[in-house]
Amino acid sequence: MTTLGITINGQVHAPTEVRDDLSMNDFLREYLGMTGTKFGCGAAQCLSCVVIVDEPDGTCHTNPTCVTSAASFHGKTIRTVEGHAKNGELSPLQKAFIRHFAFQCGYCTAGFLNEGQVLLEQLARTPVPRAGLEERIAEALDGHLCRCTGYFKYHEAVLDVILSDAKRYLIQEPRG
Amino acid sequence: MGEGMGTSRREFMKWVSAGGITLSLSRLAAAEQVAFPVRETLPGRGKLNPAIGGAGRVDGVAKVTGSKLYASDFRANDLPGWPEKTSHAILVRAPDATHVYLGMDLARLSGALKPTVIVTAADLARINTRVPAYYEGDLFCPIGKTPLYMGQPVALLIFETFDVYDRARIALRDGTFVQFGEETGPIVMPNYAAYRFTRVAGATPDAPDVYSPVLAGWVTPGRTQASALPVWSSTAHKNEAGYEKAAVYGDQIRAEIAASESSALVLDRTFDTQSVDPMFMEPECGLGWYSAKDKALELVLGVQSPYEAAESIAFLLGETKASFKPSAINAQFAYVGGGFGGRDHTPFIFYVTLAAIFFPDRPVRLAHDRYQQFQAGIKRHAIKMRSRMSVDRASGKITAFAADHVLDGGGLANFSANVATCAATAAIGIYDVPKVDVTTVAEHTRGVTAGSMRGYGSLQTMTALEVLIDEAALALKLDPIDFRRRNALKQDGRTMTGNPYIVSVRSLEVLDKLEQHPIWQRRAAEKARAASGVLVGTGVACVTKDYGTGGDSSNGRVELGPDGRIAIFCDHVEMGNGIGTALASRVALHLGGIADEVAVSQVGVFDALELVTSGDCYTMDQKTQDKAEKDPRWVPSISSATSASIGAHVGTHAAAEAARVIFRFGLWPAALALWNIGPRDPRAKDFAKVQWKDGQLTMAGLPSLPLAKLAATAHARNLVTGAVAHGFSRWAWARARFPINGEQYRAEIDGLALRRGAGKFTRINRSSVLFPPTDNNRMGTAYTAACGATVRVEIEKATGALRIAKAYTAFECGQALVPEVVIGQAQGGFAMGVGYALLETLPPFEGGPGNGQWNLGQYLVARGSDLSLRDVEIELMPPLTPDELPKGMAEVVMIPIVPALLNAIHDAIGHRFAALPVTPAMLKGALA
Repeated sequence: MTTLGITINGQVHAPTEVRDDLSMNDFLREYLGMTGTKFGCGAAQCLSCVVIVDEPDGTCHTNPTCVTSAASFHGKTIRTVEGHAKNGELSPLQKAFIRHFAFQCGYCTAGFLNEGQVLLEQLARTPVPRAGLEERIAEALDGHLCRCTGYFKYHEAVLDVILSDAKRYLIQEPRG
Repeated sequence: MGEGMGTSRREFMKWVSAGGITLSLSRLAAAEQVAFPVRETLPGRGKLNPAIGGAGRVDGVAKVTGSKLYASDFRANDLPGWPEKTSHAILVRAPDATHVYLGMDLARLSGALKPTVIVTAADLARINTRVPAYYEGDLFCPIGKTPLYMGQPVALLIFETFDVYDRARIALRDGTFVQFGEETGPIVMPNYAAYRFTRVAGATPDAPDVYSPVLAGWVTPGRTQASALPVWSSTAHKNEAGYEKAAVYGDQIRAEIAASESSALVLDRTFDTQSVDPMFMEPECGLGWYSAKDKALELVLGVQSPYEAAESIAFLLGETKASFKPSAINAQFAYVGGGFGGRDHTPFIFYVTLAAIFFPDRPVRLAHDRYQQFQAGIKRHAIKMRSRMSVDRASGKITAFAADHVLDGGGLANFSANVATCAATAAIGIYDVPKVDVTTVAEHTRGVTAGSMRGYGSLQTMTALEVLIDEAALALKLDPIDFRRRNALKQDGRTMTGNPYIVSVRSLEVLDKLEQHPIWQRRAAEKARAASGVLVGTGVACVTKDYGTGGDSSNGRVELGPDGRIAIFCDHVEMGNGIGTALASRVALHLGGIADEVAVSQVGVFDALELVTSGDCYTMDQKTQDKAEKDPRWVPSISSATSASIGAHVGTHAAAEAARVIFRFGLWPAALALWNIGPRDPRAKDFAKVQWKDGQLTMAGLPSLPLAKLAATAHARNLVTGAVAHGFSRWAWARARFPINGEQYRAEIDGLALRRGAGKFTRINRSSVLFPPTDNNRMGTAYTAACGATVRVEIEKATGALRIAKAYTAFECGQALVPEVVIGQAQGGFAMGVGYALLETLPPFEGGPGNGQWNLGQYLVARGSDLSLRDVEIELMPPLTPDELPKGMAEVVMIPIVPALLNAIHDAIGHRFAALPVTPAMLKGALA
């Protein structure tokens, strides 16, 4: 057994004793009832289960939860699909997913949302030139599986969010 | 939860099954949704079409905020009135179907890991469960028998707590505890179905057919033969007049093809397609709770066929021993995380039920992991095809076509018979061929059960056909599109079963679009400028796909509040196909506003229709139907399964008709009253001349009226404010008259109940009902939608790596209710088609998914990087006329890209593949 203390969506969860072989996915879904994080394959191949891990240096990345033990998240700060909206206001990426009809059944949405959000935050920290943007989005989202919409609209939605706040995410090219 | 999504838990459908069990169904409401304002939840409100202006889909907020929506999201403590704790079950399956099953060695589950309950075949025999005929086969393989198929369940292990369950499933992961003895070879069973479709057209296009399935009925060889596959010769069936006649014509056609070899182009080719998994993202899951004291069974399920699921479960338990027999079953149906046909008539529901029944008073959850979903989820049929085609060299016209199909149906019958007939009747694709003879047989094998999956047989046979067509065009030195055009079926032409389509036939338009597209125009130039080490090729294909089943039902209920709020209830299931959004759009056309509440998967709110049914709508004869329809409450079928392709066409029909009635007998008379137009004023009949504009009813020369004002007036004057309608389609909608306000209202529905003001719903007795004739069952299909694709590929000589350089797909679907959803489905279909052509495959039998060792590591589905997302263009063609009805299109959009890719590969490397998928290794091999 290991003690697991974790911060999820800004909420500190008191230390809990968990089995060493309990997966993070089951911790979220079975222990906390947070089923927004999905279970897809149990083999880190579809990435519908990823959450955002916030590092102390301010960077963030996604992490699959289906093959990762809950214990390995001890002391970490994570975000899940349930935490993107603030005070009843959807995040720009959530709004873009809806606006673009990015998903159909929606089962892969939490994973794409987390991956897209991480990309946005990475770009906000280190903007990129406009020229390679589509490739960057494609690389970021590529591990995620979607069976309904063929990915097109997810990519369009992320692109839309970036282009509509280009000053934040893109290197501003000198005019002329 | 926000009220916008509509909990709609307030009413349930209740009926009593043959086994004396009271059944009720309802949609499972989202248990927990971030409290967003209603207008956020229904972002399209106030607009005629929620898609216009990018306002999104009605379930959008719930899905981006992680609300509990899917069956896999719910635990007992999410459900009102349920006990707090959830127990968990493991369904153990046999990874072998050629040896005798000896039992399980559960020694590794000692001490605390011991299951609380073990359920086996012996337990089912003890309590006397029954298996519905559709699912025939042991639910659990009994000890001492060889499993019927790989992945057949042998036991349920139930654990009281999640922790014990979780440790046990880790301990059991390798599957070696299921023990087998003597080798017996696979169990031999009769074929699931065998049919022969033969048509001989008249001498001219206008002349009646000499012979066709519509004229003579469908024929099947008898079950008297002892051979593994049917013997199709006419001489083998001398005693079966119906069969013999078809076979004589069929044999003649084949002889003519063989004899024409000297003068005509004759191609004789085989093509094999593989088994694939729908790979919907949410593995199957369910939750059950049997309260022994109340004898009440509660279920939470996620399937495409709720009504059928409930009936089948009631049958399962209909004659069980008293202590195991519920007196009532309440099934709640959740959103599904993808379906693609794989959740239609799934046997998974029985195991959820049994887990609950054998652990009374404890809610039990049964969930597949992905290995189990591969091991047991319904698959697409692998088909072996041999096709022969004769083409007149002078005219470039196909004169005859013959084919033989063998489908691997896997372990249970499921939809094998339907898929076989659908595949066979699709075998001549978009073409008008005067002489056709196609045989088909769906076999039982020890493989995983194959059933309904997107494309449903046509994907396989049309792929084989379009590759054959390409080869024929090249052999005749004809342009592939021109060759297709010469042979394409025109609007009034007859299909292989001998009937014309009753919807628009637009394959010629699709061909024109493909021909004009730069990908096709530039095919020679691009080939010429290929980079060193790269081979470039362009391919084309055009197909048409049936939708509907020839026995489709639609239930819809629409309510208008005094404040103008609209609520819609529908029996079809939301599978991601956007049916909720489509419903809202279609109702808005009549009522001028987007619904505030849309509830799908409803079976509980149509009781006012008091419908009854009997017989099988697919097989009944005309006399039986004529007699049954005298009861004004009788319909050929009450509710049918949802598939994405019929979602638009069928799922929204009844609600749209209900809205039409509310407008006609509620809002229109309210408008007349507000406009002070009396009954004798000629304008009183101008209801077809009005238009909805920005939530206001407008008519030239009169003040516009807002919906809320009209609704208030309709309520105040006790006009019609709510309607429940039922529709049935057998390649045409049933029609009837209903007396309303002294008028004989005629509509394409067969059941109607109305609410006036705030009153109760009352059934209206129909008169002069016109059900489509039972002979329509002889048609293969009468509904069709066309789709074509052209694609350019680049293949690296050294590695065989294939890149899609450019692709274009054009398709039509009548009136697109929510264009964004339609385009999304087309894009998803494209992706699935690419995966089917190049990536996805499951070996049959021992090395295949039935062994329980398959996951996404081995099974490759298309990812974004496989698709060249920015180089794919998908065109949704506008409807033929502004009022063209919606067509089902979710299936057709995945088909043409498959043969187009194969044809492009041939163009690039000069090798024609005759089996799927075509992997880089195979390409490399062909290039060596």
